[in-house]
Parts: sequence; structure tokens; C-alpha cells
Amino acid sequence: MHDADIKACEEVIKMATVAESKWEIKVPDKPLKDKVYFENLKSVVIDTEICSRCLTCASVCPGGITVVGDKVDFPDYETKCLDCGACVRVCPRFVYEPLSGMGPSTAFIAGRSKRFAGQDGAMVTELIVSAMEMGIIDRGLFAGRNENWETEMFHVRDPEQLAITTLSGTKYTFADVLPELKKAVKFTKNGVGVVGTPCIVSGVRKLQQEYPIFREKIKLVVGLFCTENFHYSAISQYLRDKGVDFSKLVKTDITMGKFIATMTDNEVKFKVKALEEILPSGCNVCCDFTAVEADVSVGSVGSVPGFSTISVREPIAQKILDYIKKQGYAEFGEGDPGQLGFLVGHKKKRAENLKK
Amino acid sequence: MKKVTVQDQGVVEKAKCHAAAIGVAMKESVYPLTATVQYPRQRKKMPDNFRGYILFDPDKCINCWECAFVCPANAIRMKEAPNKKYYPTIDYGKCIFCHFCIDSCTDGALRTTKIHDVAYKDMDEMVTLTEEMIEPPEIVREDTKLVEYLIDDKDLQMKKTREVDNLFVDEVPPSVEIPVVSQCIDGASCIGCHVCEYVCGSGAISSSIANGVMNMAIDTDMCTGCGLCVKECTMQILKLVRK
Repeated sequence: MHDADIKACEEVIKMATVAESKWEIKVPDKPLKDKVYFENLKSVVIDTEICSRCLTCASVCPGGITVVGDKVDFPDYETKCLDCGACVRVCPRFVYEPLSGMGPSTAFIAGRSKRFAGQDGAMVTELIVSAMEMGIIDRGLFAGRNENWETEMFHVRDPEQLAITTLSGTKYTFADVLPELKKAVKFTKNGVGVVGTPCIVSGVRKLQQEYPIFREKIKLVVGLFCTENFHYSAISQYLRDKGVDFSKLVKTDITMGKFIATMTDNEVKFKVKALEEILPSGCNVCCDFTAVEADVSVGSVGSVPGFSTISVREPIAQKILDYIKKQGYAEFGEGDPGQLGFLVGHKKKRAENLKK
Repeated sequence: MKKVTVQDQGVVEKAKCHAAAIGVAMKESVYPLTATVQYPRQRKKMPDNFRGYILFDPDKCINCWECAFVCPANAIRMKEAPNKKYYPTIDYGKCIFCHFCIDSCTDGALRTTKIHDVAYKDMDEMVTLTEEMIEPPEIVREDTKLVEYLIDDKDLQMKKTREVDNLFVDEVPPSVEIPVVSQCIDGASCIGCHVCEYVCGSGAISSSIANGVMNMAIDTDMCTGCGLCVKECTMQILKLVRK
């Protein structure tokens, strides 16, 4: 190689990795001046019971924010907290501006996947797998479950992995999506696709807003329509009391205001309203039903049975849907935003009532 | 097809070659030379950077785990010592003696020896614990002669001297080192946890808060390029770059 070529190569290498020996970090404000940041987070979010358990804080915490019981906690934070302020920077509820409504949706469509079985989960899987086929992302994060119906996170890098049946189906239990998302961001080459409830979507957006590394690597955020979610300990106990045997449980579903747990030999049905007694405090204050910040949101409300409503917001989601249409992976119909309006209103009203 | 023809060297040259051959044959019949080292009575002289049994000095270890990460055979396991630090153990059943661990060791805690003959009774014994790596292993020396191969332009010569080789290398021959320093590749993604500052043994990383902004700085002159901060950075935004 000529000297000129070597110089040109060096130039390119320099441009690719801008290495610097000096950098600046924003220091967030502390409401409690002489306390560590975690104590600030605890007093503003966790103790006031508005914490949504999205675990955005745990995903960035270099110390040890974790879940103790049903609450987000940091054992021995007085000595172990490094006081970096990352948790309060990313917490979507530290400075909480409740979101509601439909978001800037460009289109409402009803869709049903032909490749995957199930309802909303199938359409979400379809979106992620199609994005993987298009090369937009190389890794998708899915919430699966173990035999006790506790959630477990799976990194899907090949559509063949979706043969694991425990990946499909709604669990109605919180999943530790965001701590896994950080791992996914570290390992990915192209990008990551993530699925989550509105609180998780808010957490992802906050991470992206604060740190460029997440902005670059998270390419697709799929939101789920959500009225509420439950702590595993609470809902498993509740279902056991109702006579649900987890070893025989096939699927859980909410339709027409009823919670239906289908087992191999039996079915347990009860009104969703009955679950209000175990409703997590963080879900009480939430008004966001459609995950307004997501690139695309999916849910069963607002379309005929068997179909999922897809609310498209970003061009990238439209591109993926066009690809699905072209390949014939799913059938599409008309969506009805009117039905959605009722639940959006219901969630907002519930939050307002509780505030009073 | 091309036919290979032997060059005609002339009568004089041919006679010279024959005479040399007869000379070698006569020499061998009187004093036969072998290329075999009569181990264990004789020992071959090894170079100073011979890849043999590995010794460890815990005082020099900075706990960077680089040896365990780099090991291609997964022979190195880190075990917790009573002083809460993690030190390497080597499974010689797996070790391929590539000595990447020694090359990657930034502070010279691992060093080589010329020992290549350690016997074990079973596989479990081959897992060498940290405390066994500090002192050299017990080996039986029966050798009285040191053999050295010398290659001159014509022939391989064996030089035998009546001495016992020192199997320990006091000073490793200096290798060509590419100076590297730690640098930040994405300052905006730094969460400001100071972990890099805590782990830095040379005090090259410093921070200061002024007007609600934290300033982080790496002193490239003080940085030894050990890579400890790169490993510990929670956001993986530090990188070793050429100086």
C-alpha cells in the first residue's frame, strides 16, 4: 500500500470512532439535596406509589436497583448507591406528565397474521419477524414464561426460535424487558426490536432521549394496548384461589370484560372488575392505553374477533406493514377507532377518580 | 513436459564431493553423532521466551481478568481469594500453552518458565490453583548436560556442555508493545457512575463538577492502557485506542 492510502485509511478509522479523553455529563437536579439519587427516586416515585415497575432505572443502574417483593428497591442504597443520577434521568415518572389518547396515529388497520397463531401476540411477532427479514433489526426481545407462568425474557435472533410455544400468549404479568434491553443493545449489530406495555415504551423513549447509544440501536418499538398489568405474586395467588391449576393452564385472555383462564380440562371465568383489588398502584395513575409513544401499537380492541387493531405512527412501521402486505404474511381489514375511544376514556377516568 | 537434467559439475567437483562423503562416513564410524537429546540425562537449552509452565505473582495482579477473557482454551478460571480479589487458576488439562495470558497481562503478574515436564496423577490434579502457581512445581532434575542445536550454513551441529540450565526466567525479553490508552467513544451516553475512576489504579481518570455539569477527563500520559476501565464501564463506551 502507498503512504497516501494508509493515510486515507487512518482518516476513515478516526472518523468511525471519535475517541475523546474529555467529556461532559449532565447532572440532574435533586429535590432532596443532601441525599443520594436513589433516595430521591424513592421519595418522588416509589414511596408515592406512582412507580410503574417498568425497570428503566434498573436497566441503567451500575449499582443494584432490583425488584424486592413487588416493589422496585435498592438494598443498602445508602452505602452502595454510586450517586450517578442515571435512574432519575431515565425514570419516566420522576417528572411525570401523563400521556393519553391515540397519539399521532397515521392509520388504523385490523390485521391477522397467517404465519403465527394467536391474536395480538401473533401480529406483534409478525411485525418483529418481518422487520428481522427486512434487515432493520437483528434481534427481537420477547417475553416468554416458565411452567409457573412467571415471565422470562428471550432474545430472538432467528424466527425458528419462535417455535418455543411459551413465547406466545398473554401473561398479564410484569416482565423485566428493559434490563434485558440493555444487554440486547450491547450485543446487537444492526438494531433491536422491543415489545412492551405503555410504561415500558415510555421508558424506552426516555432512554433514547437521554443516551445516544439507545437512540442508535433501538430501531423498532412495538406498543401493546394495556388497561392494567399485575404483579406475579398477586395474580398467581388470585388465580389459585379461583381454582386455576398452573400445570394445566393453556392460555389466559380478557374478552368482553371477562377474564378467562383456559385449562386442558376446565375453564375459569370472572369479571375483570374483580381484579381491581389487586391492581398495582402504578397502573392506577396511568392514562396511556394505546402506548402513544410507540412506533406502532397493537391490541385486540377495536376490530372483529380474530383480528388485531394496529395503530401506525411512524414511517418505519408503515414500511414494515407494506412489506407484510407484499409478502402476503397477513390479511388486513378496516380498524374501528371508535371502540378504542371508550377504553382510552375509561383509563383516563379511572386515573382521575383515584386522584380525587 | 520438461525433462530435468542433472548439471554436469566436472570431474574435479565430483571428486571433491565424494571425498567429503567418505570423510563424513569415517567420522561417523569413529564418533557417531546423533540429533537426539538423551532426556532426562540431558536437557535441551530453551530460549528465554519459551512457552512453559506459568508462574503467578499476586502482588502484581490488578484483577483485570484479561487472562481469563483471552484464553482460547478456556483453561483459566478466576477464583475468589480470602482478600476478596479474584486470581487465576489454570487447568493444564485444557491449556494449549499459547501464552496469550502472559502476553495480555498488563502488569507482568504472569510469567513464563522453561519447565515443560510436570507430571500429574489424574485430571483433577491438573487444575492448578493460584497458591500452587506462586511457587514453581517440584520437578526431579537428573540432567547433567545441556544440549544446544547450532545451525551453520551447511549442517546442524549439536553442542553439548556440562552444565545445568536455570529454568527460571528472571527477565523476559522485551516484546514490541503498541502503546494504547483508554478513550471515550460516546461521551453523551456516559451515565456518570465513576466506576472507571474507582477502578483506575494509575489515577489517570478524574472528574469534577462545575455549574451543574460533570467533567470527566482521562490523562493520556498517566494512562497505562491496562483496560480495567474499559472492562468495567457499564455502558461500554470506553475503548483502548493506539496512542
